[in-house]
Amino acid sequence: MGLVRKQIPQSPEEPAPPSATPDELIRRLDDPDPERRREAALDLDGMPEAVPELLARLGPEQEPRVRDAVLTTLAAHDTEAVAAGLAVHLASDEAGLRTAVAEALATMPRSTPALIPDLLAAPDHDVRVMTAMVLADLPHPDAQSWLARMIDEDPHANVVTAAIDALLPAATAEHVPVLQAAARRFPDDPFLQFTVRSALPRLAGTA
Amino acid sequence: MADATSTGAGLSDADFARFTEYFYKRTGIHFTAGKRYFVDKRVEACIRNSSHSTFASWFAALRTRDRSELLQELINQLTVNETYFLREDYQFDALLSTVLPQVLSARGGVRRITGALKILSLPCSTGEEPYSIALRLLEEWDQIDHVDVEIHGADIDSAVLAKAAHASYGERSLQRVPKAWLNKYFVPVGSGRHQVDDGIRSAVTLHRVNVCDTASMRAFRDYDVIFCRNVLIYFDELSSRRAAENLYGALRPGGYLFLGHSESMSRISPIFTPTRLPEGIVYQRPTGAN
Repeated sequence: MGLVRKQIPQSPEEPAPPSATPDELIRRLDDPDPERRREAALDLDGMPEAVPELLARLGPEQEPRVRDAVLTTLAAHDTEAVAAGLAVHLASDEAGLRTAVAEALATMPRSTPALIPDLLAAPDHDVRVMTAMVLADLPHPDAQSWLARMIDEDPHANVVTAAIDALLPAATAEHVPVLQAAARRFPDDPFLQFTVRSALPRLAGTA
Repeated sequence: MADATSTGAGLSDADFARFTEYFYKRTGIHFTAGKRYFVDKRVEACIRNSSHSTFASWFAALRTRDRSELLQELINQLTVNETYFLREDYQFDALLSTVLPQVLSARGGVRRITGALKILSLPCSTGEEPYSIALRLLEEWDQIDHVDVEIHGADIDSAVLAKAAHASYGERSLQRVPKAWLNKYFVPVGSGRHQVDDGIRSAVTLHRVNVCDTASMRAFRDYDVIFCRNVLIYFDELSSRRAAENLYGALRPGGYLFLGHSESMSRISPIFTPTRLPEGIVYQRPTGAN
């Protein structure tokens, strides 16, 4: 008893052999054991042929840990097809799924920006709210101007409030007129009024 | 010319507030107004080393175009990378007083446990952390004579692993080690340096691995406790997610993950359950159905 040394069978410098072929891994996405599904999703990293299969599992998958593994692998591809396949879930009735998808899209700076114009024009205002969430963390030079445009033009108070929240960490004094205009557009929305009122003093004097 | 509330970096009070809010959101590290001079000097250095001439353009780029590169340098400037024995040892207090008893209980208690308790330090750098865990267990855990414990250290850098294997440390690394422990577990090797004795060195297994590499991390399984401190803040979002997934896979269901005091898993991945202990937050792999 006490401290004991474990001799692992393989050299630690050598990666473990692949756990299965791509076809086997794809079949494991339907395994009854969620841990097997989770590991299969992660092991499909870097395999573009698995993208359609991973996208197809995203909606039906009920285990959040498996869903997150699927999203981690998909987001690494950062292609237009993946971004488009993910964006449809921004309209999901399941809050966990649409939030997880928004977080994944925010990690895809190459492909997500091309979707933004359509998402900003989505008829479902909840999709536009989720788009503000994406833009909050998307590392892209136009993210702030898209958010400012949402604040300036979107007809729904919830969307505008979400966009203000998303913009605030990067907002400067130059955004004060945009926020003030939003407050004038929605004089009867107490949450939006509170958000703008809280933000304005912090922006004064920023560069 | 800077105004009365500005620095050479051009940070007004409002910019400082905005910067510290951003940095807190990104890393979990909060700088109070008392750290203003420290922050200003290092932000100035970051701006000087970048292609930007003003705080405003640098800060905008930090959040957008050159984000990962600029953020990495900023984190390097604003964090202390030095490691030493018994660093942030309140987490070792939590390990001994709460986590290990719970792990032991979950695995059937001293009499029924099968196999060793497994603890992983990742990244282990030059070895101070895994050896600190060994010292605390040997000196302060009343079950150490009744249970087998494996301690593993892992790092991506083979050079630091070689130093960890040699386990010879100078005064700065050893400043928090009690003299009695120094006499008991270390051997003087000259020039004020001390080497961890053979017994402890041979009990700690070292590995080279990249925490973001799922294939390599597959070799790490069934750990009861993982210390992964002050590394995830250096990763971009996608790498952090991948690392979190791999740490999850390396833990036994119900196992515990310690992050650095300034790090939060909640902004990386929702797959762990945060658990509040008297000594702070620790993250647990849910026991689930598997």
